Amino acid sequence: MPVLYKASFGYLLRHPWQLGLALLGICIGVAVIVAVDIANSSSRKAFLLSMNTINGEASHQIVAGPGGVDEELYVHLRVAGGMRNIAPIVTGYVSVDGQTLQVLGVDVFAERTFRAYTQPATGRRSTLNESTFGEFLTKPGAVLMSSAVATKLGLAIGEDFTITSAGRDYPALLIGTTQSSSSSAALANILVVDIASAQHWFDKIGHLSRIDVRLPADQGAAASILAELPPGTELLSAESRTRSITEMSTAFMTNLTAMSLLALLIGTFLIYNSVSFAVLQRRGLIGVLRALGLTRRETFSLIVAEGAALGIVGALFGVLLGVWLGEQLLLLVSQSINDLYFRVTVTNVTVSPLSLLVGFVAGVGATGLAAMVPAIEASGYRPQLSLARSVLERRTRRLLPSIALAGLAAAALALIILPLSGTSLVAGLTAMFLLILGFALCIPVMVDTVSRLAAGVAGRFGGATARLTVRGVSASLSRTGVAIVALAVAVSATVGVSVMVDSFRLAVNDWIGNSLRADIYVGVPGGSLDPELVRDIAQLPGVAEISSSRRIWLEMPQGRTRVLILNRAGPGYGGVELLDAEAEETWRSFEADGAVLVSEPYAYRNAVARGSTLSLNTPLGPQAFNIAATYRSYDANQGTVLMSRTTYRRYWHDEAIDSIGVYLAAGAASQSVMERMREISKGRQSLLMRSNRELRDLSLQIFDRTFVITDVLYWLAVGVAIIGILGSMLALQLERAREFAILRAIGMTPWQLGSMVTLQSGFIGLLSGLAALPLGLLMAWVLIDVINRRSFGWQMDMSIAPSFLLTALALSTGAALMAGLYPAYRAASARPALAMREE
Amino acid sequence: MVNSNVQIRLSHLSRSFQEGAQQHVVLQDLSANFYEGETVALRGRSGSGKSTLLNVISGIDAPDSGRIEIAGLDITAMSERDRTLFRRLHIGFVYQAFNLVPTLTVADNIRLVLQLNKVEDAEGSRRIRELLTAVGLADRRHSYPDVLSGGEQQRVAIARALAHRPRIVLADEPTGNLDDDTADDVLSLLGDLVRQEGGTMIVATHSAKVAARSDRVLELQNGQLIADSRHG
Repeated sequence: MPVLYKASFGYLLRHPWQLGLALLGICIGVAVIVAVDIANSSSRKAFLLSMNTINGEASHQIVAGPGGVDEELYVHLRVAGGMRNIAPIVTGYVSVDGQTLQVLGVDVFAERTFRAYTQPATGRRSTLNESTFGEFLTKPGAVLMSSAVATKLGLAIGEDFTITSAGRDYPALLIGTTQSSSSSAALANILVVDIASAQHWFDKIGHLSRIDVRLPADQGAAASILAELPPGTELLSAESRTRSITEMSTAFMTNLTAMSLLALLIGTFLIYNSVSFAVLQRRGLIGVLRALGLTRRETFSLIVAEGAALGIVGALFGVLLGVWLGEQLLLLVSQSINDLYFRVTVTNVTVSPLSLLVGFVAGVGATGLAAMVPAIEASGYRPQLSLARSVLERRTRRLLPSIALAGLAAAALALIILPLSGTSLVAGLTAMFLLILGFALCIPVMVDTVSRLAAGVAGRFGGATARLTVRGVSASLSRTGVAIVALAVAVSATVGVSVMVDSFRLAVNDWIGNSLRADIYVGVPGGSLDPELVRDIAQLPGVAEISSSRRIWLEMPQGRTRVLILNRAGPGYGGVELLDAEAEETWRSFEADGAVLVSEPYAYRNAVARGSTLSLNTPLGPQAFNIAATYRSYDANQGTVLMSRTTYRRYWHDEAIDSIGVYLAAGAASQSVMERMREISKGRQSLLMRSNRELRDLSLQIFDRTFVITDVLYWLAVGVAIIGILGSMLALQLERAREFAILRAIGMTPWQLGSMVTLQSGFIGLLSGLAALPLGLLMAWVLIDVINRRSFGWQMDMSIAPSFLLTALALSTGAALMAGLYPAYRAASARPALAMREE
Repeated sequence: MVNSNVQIRLSHLSRSFQEGAQQHVVLQDLSANFYEGETVALRGRSGSGKSTLLNVISGIDAPDSGRIEIAGLDITAMSERDRTLFRRLHIGFVYQAFNLVPTLTVADNIRLVLQLNKVEDAEGSRRIRELLTAVGLADRRHSYPDVLSGGEQQRVAIARALAHRPRIVLADEPTGNLDDDTADDVLSLLGDLVRQEGGTMIVATHSAKVAARSDRVLELQNGQLIADSRHG
């Protein structure tokens, strides 16, 4: 290694604590990025693999509305149309011993060209052999499942078991295990059954979930199928259908990525802080090197190379840590995706080289970028100037207005981007990062002003030592400024995220409280309620009225629409908060005129509002529906269309009810009514009943569960911040060793010096906290009004709990005080003579 | 050996610094010549402009006006980069505070200059051995500066300043941090080595002893040359 680099890296190795903390900061920043990427991509890949396995070789799918595709259509296409490359599918979810499994009901004779694992014994990849083939077709409930699931359920081949579908139990028999070398993970939670069994279990006699189609590339084939399809039935590309489902989670995943970038941004400030300190502490050395003939460019390269080396080592460890962390986060991410979007079972962690590369490059890039500013500064030193601290401070102070102006320019750019960028999430995130950067650049000038003012007050009440403590902050602004900015950015992230999550939680709490009006909610997992049973429940003593709902997906070539069908009960639709229309007129047109309501996210995403029309695919063909109002909803960020049962019945002829809300008569006890419901449902359908309170609690639990990953990322960011504070304080106080030695030499006791250092650290923490509050609130505003809106279409009021602000102040002051303890001890216990000599 | 060739020609140099609202004039219309092989002592009170003069000669600082020619080259017309490269190649510095790189061994401190000047490793090692033997520190080549005495550190600094055989050696109070005996040793060594190498040396000093060892003494006051006396 050239001696020049040895001189530079030798410095780092001589300060292992600072080196270690800087590396740890980079390492965690990179780890969070890699982990989020692994968790996101593993979930997405697991879902795609599962969809691809289930779709098999199908290029297209014929789908219809909630009732499914009429079986006759399949027969017609196959017999009259002579189409051979089509296969009927009935699919749904069942429960076995509390475990949710997906059922794939197939016609093995039609399967040949679609899915190898459902094929009779004709090749090596077959699943059914000759003896089980007959059983599969003839025995009701004959099932194939993966050996992993069979082992998990403790089932052996030939063993009987029970599956539960829509609250009803059905007998099943394990006749064999599925094998698919390429997609064994995707088959992990799939039961393959004959289509007749699936129809029976899902109450779809005469109907299919879809028809899989293998079409040649030419458009003529598609056109000939389209000509045969009845209204309300669509031929969709399998790939685009899968994509439209996965796209639902895109905003969620983008937000997680943004959170991880926030951790890296904080990490970048900390790296900048570390490298700046390393440069400042070596301004003497740099001065000597410049005097010996090191050019500006060489000085610049030296500092950047040092930053890059730090970045490479930190990023390498970060990538390794990220893989481990990714495995831990995967569970949380897949849980949130299950709660919010679609079912996904992730058995394998997908560590793509790209994820690792992205994390590595982000870490090295961020470090390089962070090292760039101090490198430019170091290369600009004139050799003799680099030796004078006072010149450095003067120069810093001179630069303050320009730095603040640059900050204001960045903030102004953000404020220009926001209104001009429409609904772009990436532009919103860019604006947020620009605002953070802009505000951060204004912090040093604020710190200078505040600490100068505070010095006077401190001097009046605490004497010379207090004045020295406070003035030290502005007198050493070249060093304290960077530390305060890094700490303030980190703490502001905690304020921003806390206020956003809390505002969201309050909004959801109000919304749930307002929406859930019934006393008891009844449903069955993954299916519809028995209409007879619903009628019997309505007749029970103690039941005043019932409301009903049904959730369906309507698919069209341009995407999927979620429709919620409601049947009002006595207390009416008070639970639906209308945002842009009068209640009376809205509900009248909703009930009588066939108008629909759209949720706020739906209106935002599809750019519709009251008075617009929307087209839905019905069995009578596409129909236009008037939008009577927009309503508040936080239940699905893809948006929902609300339709009355009367309107729904008019077009779909579907009487299925997914859940009911039971309103009790005055004086009736919910427990006794639930007991009666349980009795009358016995042997008919196993009901899932929840009281109003239970459902509220469960809803909030799910809400909290979706924010667990945010919390984890948040605490990781705080961890990075605390590491940074410790590093900054350590560097700051070490840098002032000579100054402290002089104070000791002129008579300051170790205790006084230690107290001064600790108090100064605390003051720095307090200033950081004070700067973090407005920045944090600004961040919360952007998160709520821009990022949440653009990601999910939700709007909510910002709610600022004073406790968050106090916590942020306590966090920054406390962390800085803690971080100041060791440097204080070092300063107090250092031998003055040695410290002065070392300088 | 002093000869009549002018190594450094200073013409009407002026330099001032702004401090707040005040303008401090450090060099005022200063002109002087320095000849090949001579050792010149710069004397004067603190603030008289000695260090600033060394800085502008080395190209570390630039004068506000005036011209500096070294071996016929006008370094005031050079860019900052060219001045740096010129300094790297032709000038050796010895400081009062030694300014050794604390994270490098004695040998590496010298090697640093050789590597900056792209001297081959083998040649560099030979030169380091030669210089360390000359300054009497051959056995301390692997030591770090912080375990050396002040005199030893200054001897390393001298070896470093001479490593690349510069035309000019600039020394700013080289004995200011040393006791009298050590200062004598260091001065003899510096003087002998510069003479051996045939370079020109300018020493900024308060010391009469240092001045006495020089070929010529220039007296500075308020940035102006007030006396130029030649010994012997």
